[in-house]
Amino acid sequence: MRFIVCVKQVPDTTEVEVDEETGTIIREGVPSVLNAFDEFALNLAVELKEKSDENIEIVALSMGPPQAKEALTKCLAIGADRAILLTDRVFAGADTWATAVTLGRAIKKIGDADVVFMGQEASDGNTAQVGPEVAAHMGIPQLTFVTEVDSVNSDHVVCKKETDEGFVSIKCELPSMIACMHTPGFEPRIPNIREIMKAKRKTYEEWNHEDLGGEPSEYGLDGSESVVIRTYSPPPKGEGIIVDDEPETAVNRLIQFFEDEGIL
Amino acid sequence: MARTKLSDDRDLTEEQKLFKESLLDWAERNMPLDRVIKMNREGHPYPKDLTKGLGDLGVIMGTVPEERGGMGLNWKDQATIADIIGYIDPSIATAAGFMAVETGWGFTIDRYANEEIRKKYVQPAIRGDKFIGIATTEPGGGSDVANFKCTGEKDGDEWVLNGEKTFISGVEEAKDIGGGYWVNVRTGDKVPGAAHKNMTAFFVPIDTEGVTPTEPYDDAGRNSISTGGFIMEDVRIPEEYMLGEEGKGFYYTMEGFDNARILIGSSAVGVTRRLLEEAADYIKERKTFGRPLAKYEAIQFEFVERYTEMEASRLMVNKVADMQDTRYDEEGWLERTGKPQTYKPTEIAKWISMIKYKIPHLAKDTADDAMHWLGAAGYSSEYIFETAWRGVMSYCVGAEGGANIQKIVIGRETLGKDYVPYK
Repeated sequence: MRFIVCVKQVPDTTEVEVDEETGTIIREGVPSVLNAFDEFALNLAVELKEKSDENIEIVALSMGPPQAKEALTKCLAIGADRAILLTDRVFAGADTWATAVTLGRAIKKIGDADVVFMGQEASDGNTAQVGPEVAAHMGIPQLTFVTEVDSVNSDHVVCKKETDEGFVSIKCELPSMIACMHTPGFEPRIPNIREIMKAKRKTYEEWNHEDLGGEPSEYGLDGSESVVIRTYSPPPKGEGIIVDDEPETAVNRLIQFFEDEGIL
Repeated sequence: MARTKLSDDRDLTEEQKLFKESLLDWAERNMPLDRVIKMNREGHPYPKDLTKGLGDLGVIMGTVPEERGGMGLNWKDQATIADIIGYIDPSIATAAGFMAVETGWGFTIDRYANEEIRKKYVQPAIRGDKFIGIATTEPGGGSDVANFKCTGEKDGDEWVLNGEKTFISGVEEAKDIGGGYWVNVRTGDKVPGAAHKNMTAFFVPIDTEGVTPTEPYDDAGRNSISTGGFIMEDVRIPEEYMLGEEGKGFYYTMEGFDNARILIGSSAVGVTRRLLEEAADYIKERKTFGRPLAKYEAIQFEFVERYTEMEASRLMVNKVADMQDTRYDEEGWLERTGKPQTYKPTEIAKWISMIKYKIPHLAKDTADDAMHWLGAAGYSSEYIFETAWRGVMSYCVGAEGGANIQKIVIGRETLGKDYVPYK
């Protein structure tokens, strides 16, 4: 069997600071990390491989600049068997659809994917569109908001999926795409030194648009269906009101506030 | 972890960046700063869950070749790990036990040991299941090898060892989980003017009949790992437990010290960086007379001076680790090619002595400064500074060679042998 895990290198949001004058994110000097939901998806894939009697290959796949190799090296240390970075100037500026097309073509080129694992969304864009679009591009079923994978064999996968009402368990035929999200308390695997050194010896490849086929105009900004008109930060919130009184007085003050504002 | 970040990873390899990430993630879960402070207060032996955790991470004796159970790291890799260990545990107990003692000495034991010692002691120690270290200091002499009293006499296919070793790291840990020590004894007559001759090294398991551990010391700091000693009374050690060749123990010991001292220097860089980061968080927020402490030049300039020294020290450690890698890469080079090696071992020893003498003092002085910046808060165990101050002092006064001995080595290599104060 073959699992393909799509991952993205994103800015470490715990280190991000905002420029007070422009309100934009300061990207310079911010370290990059593996997107947390993608790391969770990889952890799921590795655990399944360890538990399974099947012969499973895990391929980590990413699209990004050359430095995204760092994220893939970590994937190899965590347990991926092989890693491929899709890196090419023509991939730059891709929207979610162009990204999905690029990843989808790579997945087809790798071939024989039984499960495509993806993170539910990336912490830098938060669109949650790429996974479903990859599934659409490939014409395979999709499961989103997956928090657990109970079992997998060469025929089907059984997943636990979060819904607005709670959780449901779903059995789905293969091949399929599952978009994963971890619940609070998840602790990712910490690769040890031996695994990190072993990662150096695993297969790592870089593919460009010629490897995937098609015209350059089908990728990146040119291949994108959406147009970004403007990026801006929402205006800062005004100074709030803190009601710091005994409960009865506080409630009365709140009611008065709502009445004054025309809310009540 | 501190919010102010002073590390610069851009000169690390991809793998070294991942070592760092893994260690910091592990520490966040298992060894946050408040646990380091608590461990230091509670005392030894070093907690078993952390010993095992370090073993599982693969950080102990990473420089042992892969085919013998290690990770096959180079000294630059291992120094990077030691730096992060110091950063995680500025009380320096982890850096003492698992970086300097186990890694520096374990690597050297592995080089000169037979297969049985490697399998029974070195490889379990790599996994965190046993503790191995060095026992060279004696009640009458440490740096002063001429006054070593421990002896070894051959009896058939065994050696009989007698004497006492003291100020030994990790004896309680070795008793607790099993292990043993590299022990130097005199196996021939003392040679006038060359007291280092006729010293032989043996591996002595701590549970060997005739080995009696002495009461551990109540040290000022680095308290979560023990300092103790043991008495040897007619301890019978098989011939195969001799490390290397008879009479060459002193030279092997100097090699072991070189390896351990690199890791001490690197750990002390990590300690200094952590102290500066923790202090920066405080002095940027704490206000007196209407402005943050960091805005006072008296504090800011001291901070900047320590930071500059820390970065200079880091570069020195990088150079020294590279030199040591070259030394081992070129082993046997002279015999094979007839060309001299890039560095003479004594030249490398000079650089290693410079970092061993300088960087623990930098860490101790930084802790001292930070306590002054923070005032009463810095003096309390609510912050790491007093724990670190007491811990790194152990590397200023002695452990792995006192500062003045390092200066003698540096003086010998710069001014010449004629100016060595003692022989």
